[in-house]
This record gives sequence, C-alpha cells and structure tokens, in this order.
Amino acid sequence: MPFTRINSKMVEAPVTPGQRMFSQRGAMLAYRGRVTFTPSITGGQGGVMSMIGRRVANEATPLMVVEGEGSVMFGHGGHHIHTVDLAGETLYVEADRLLAFDGSLRQGTMFMGSQGGVMGVLRGQVTGQGLFTTTLQGKGSVAVMAHGGVFELPVTPARPVHVDPQAYVAHRGELRNKLVTAIGWREMVGRGSGEAFQLELSGQGTVYVQASEERL
Amino acid sequence: MTVLHPEGGPVVYDAATLPRDDNVNPYAFSVQLDGQWFLQKGKMIAYYGQIDFQGIGHGPLDRLIAANFHSPMHAADWVVAQGRGMMLLADRAYDINSYDLDDGNLTIRSGNLLAFQPGLTLKQSIIPGFLTLLGTGKFVAASNGAVHFVEPPIRVDPEALVGWADCPSPCHHYDHAYMRGVLGGIRRLTGIGGASGEEHQYEFTGAGQVLIQSTEQVLGAVPTGAGPGAAAVGAGPQ
Repeated sequence: MPFTRINSKMVEAPVTPGQRMFSQRGAMLAYRGRVTFTPSITGGQGGVMSMIGRRVANEATPLMVVEGEGSVMFGHGGHHIHTVDLAGETLYVEADRLLAFDGSLRQGTMFMGSQGGVMGVLRGQVTGQGLFTTTLQGKGSVAVMAHGGVFELPVTPARPVHVDPQAYVAHRGELRNKLVTAIGWREMVGRGSGEAFQLELSGQGTVYVQASEERL
Repeated sequence: MTVLHPEGGPVVYDAATLPRDDNVNPYAFSVQLDGQWFLQKGKMIAYYGQIDFQGIGHGPLDRLIAANFHSPMHAADWVVAQGRGMMLLADRAYDINSYDLDDGNLTIRSGNLLAFQPGLTLKQSIIPGFLTLLGTGKFVAASNGAVHFVEPPIRVDPEALVGWADCPSPCHHYDHAYMRGVLGGIRRLTGIGGASGEEHQYEFTGAGQVLIQSTEQVLGAVPTGAGPGAAAVGAGPQ
C-alpha cells in the first residue's frame, strides 16, 4: 500500500484485509478502524532461519505485523520520513531506519563484504552500517527514517556521487559503493579537513542522503 | 522596514515589520503585546518595547489571575507578560503554531502550551498532564513536528497526542488480541515474542477534533490531575 505524506514527520497508510504491513515497534501514532498490531516473533519475513540470520547479522529490529481494515498513521522519534516506492528493484537500508514497509516486499540481509570484500567491511564500519545491511526487494512502498530532511541523488554510470558516510541513508538500484579515503599528513597531525572518508557510489540507481551528519 | 538580503539571504525584521500575532518562521512566533499575555517560563526569546514579566502568585495581578488561571499546580511555571511591544516566543526549535478559540474548549498537553491571551481561562484537565482552555482568544502551542488534525472516531498513541477540542474526554483502549490462542498463551507465559508496544491507546468518539504530533517523544510535561495539596506527592521533575 502506498504511504500518503501528511507532513515531513508523519505518513498515513491504508490497511486492507489480506494485505500485511510491517512497522517498527512503537511507530504507530494513531489509527482508524479495526487494525491489530502483533509483535513479529521472527522480526520480519522468512521464518526461523531468516530470524537467526537477522539476529546474527545484528539487523533484527523489533517489528510489528499490522493487519486489519482501516488506516494507520506512522511516525517515530521526531525523525523525518521519506517514502520510497519500489517497482521490482532492491533497496539497501539499515534495519533501524525502517519505519514501515509493505508485506509484499521481500526482506533479506546482505553481507557488506560481498561488495568489495575487506573494503566493504571497512565501509560498513565507517558508515555505521556494521557488517550487514537489510535489503527489501519487490513491488511496494517503504517509509524510511532520517535525521533531517532526505533528498534523492540520481546516479548514472557517467556521474558517480560522493556522499559523506554519516549522511548516507539508503540506496537502490544497481550501485557499487566504494569507500574513498583522502588521508594525508594533515590527518595524521590532527589538522584534517574532517572529510577524510567519502562513499563513492557508481552505477545506475538512486542514493538517499539526509541533511544531517547525525545518525539515528 | 523589512530588509531583504541582496543575495536572498535572511530577512531582517525590526519592531515595525515583525509579524503581528503570527509566525516569524515555523519555529518562532511574534506576539504584538498591548496589555497582558500568559506565557510559560522560559519561552520568551526576545522582545521590543516595554514589557515586564510578573510571576504568578505574587504581585499586583491578583485579579487577572483569579479570573483566568485556575491551576495552582502550574502557577510556578507561568508568568504574565504586561506592557506594549513585540514579543518573540520559541521552544527548543519545535514547530510553533497559534490557534484561535471562539467560545470554545480545548484540552492540550501542559508541556505543549506556550502562551495564551487573557480572553481564555486555563484550567487543569481531569486527564493527568493536560490543561483545558475555555473562552475566546488566541493561544500558542509547540509540537515536535507539525500538528495534524483528525476527526473521531480514532485511537491515538498516548505520546503522540497533543490535545483535543470539543469532543468528549477520551477513554483508554487496550488491545491484547495477540495474547490469544496457543502462540499468544506462550507469549503471555514466557514473554518470548515480545510486546507490540501498541497495546494502549486513547480512544476518541463523538464530534470534535483531535490534534496529534508526529512523534512519540513527549515534550516535558508537569503531571496534573491532583489538587494543590497532593501536588507535592505527584510532581515530577520540572
């Protein structure tokens, strides 16, 4: 179900019978109609093995299953909310940034090392993503939280984008990301520019950036 | 006069060009004061003109306070601004909005209310932590994210609730449906599976308007609902 934007910090989504939604625990602000919120034991989709995978990957966020008939308003912690409509692509996002998403999306976990090996792992450490990140694939909508407003930067093969790792929120499409370091003698003597690490995204897709260097 | 920065930079206001009883930006409100306003302590950020601030409960304003301020519990948090000038109000960069009441009644979380005109009367709501405004006049309130108005019937997370107008007082709604059945029984007995975090809402029915804010972080509130004698027992950190 698509999310309707109420304001920069609140979204509304219709709930219809037979259409499940997942939302982060405590993210419901108000609802109309007969809607039930059930804690998801496995923390999402895909049964017990997926649950264990998420636990090991530290991508397990307490999720609720939202079912019934009516509409629900979501918001959390005063964070800005950005909605992403997926039409078959994959969204890569940290699990704790997920506010709510359609049950029709397939949830998975990706090892950062699978994109660039050791450098991928290092990149995960710098961006605060850790060793793993969550993927959502399929047709449906996702509401993502960020500190400060979110904007989308398109990436094309001819135009790679450099992003501050702390301002990176999510990306979708066929993107390769690479950690670029610009460490020189200035950083060594503590006179650095403060921009020693950058995330370079290249390929075809979109990267979501927040207007803040503060993480959630 | 309003000076526009040549490169489209910040707008510079002075005493004559500040908005009159209107927002300067989403986070600051400008009051054209000619007489008296009640305001919560610490929410005034700047003023032009001759304005003095009198604490409630002492001073020469006893008659005004007797008529318009019926909450001994909150008296220590409020002052009366008196005089002529332009007064700017803000609260921790939260969104600020003004609302007009016309012979109405509105109940609002005590931490969200910044200021109100003496045309309104302040009373403690019977719902703990909320204040009721009665009468005609303008008031200014803060919220974390813009306020969204919804009409009943609706169930609202207690922490997302800013206030309500005209509709009957809410009641509690508890939903433990997921505790039913075999899995629910295991969950109840062992705690495995966790809670949904959404078991408890305020339920609104009838005609009126409900104000909700887009966050579950509550602005600092003073617990109310008790008389002045019990205040010392129930009062939390202020």
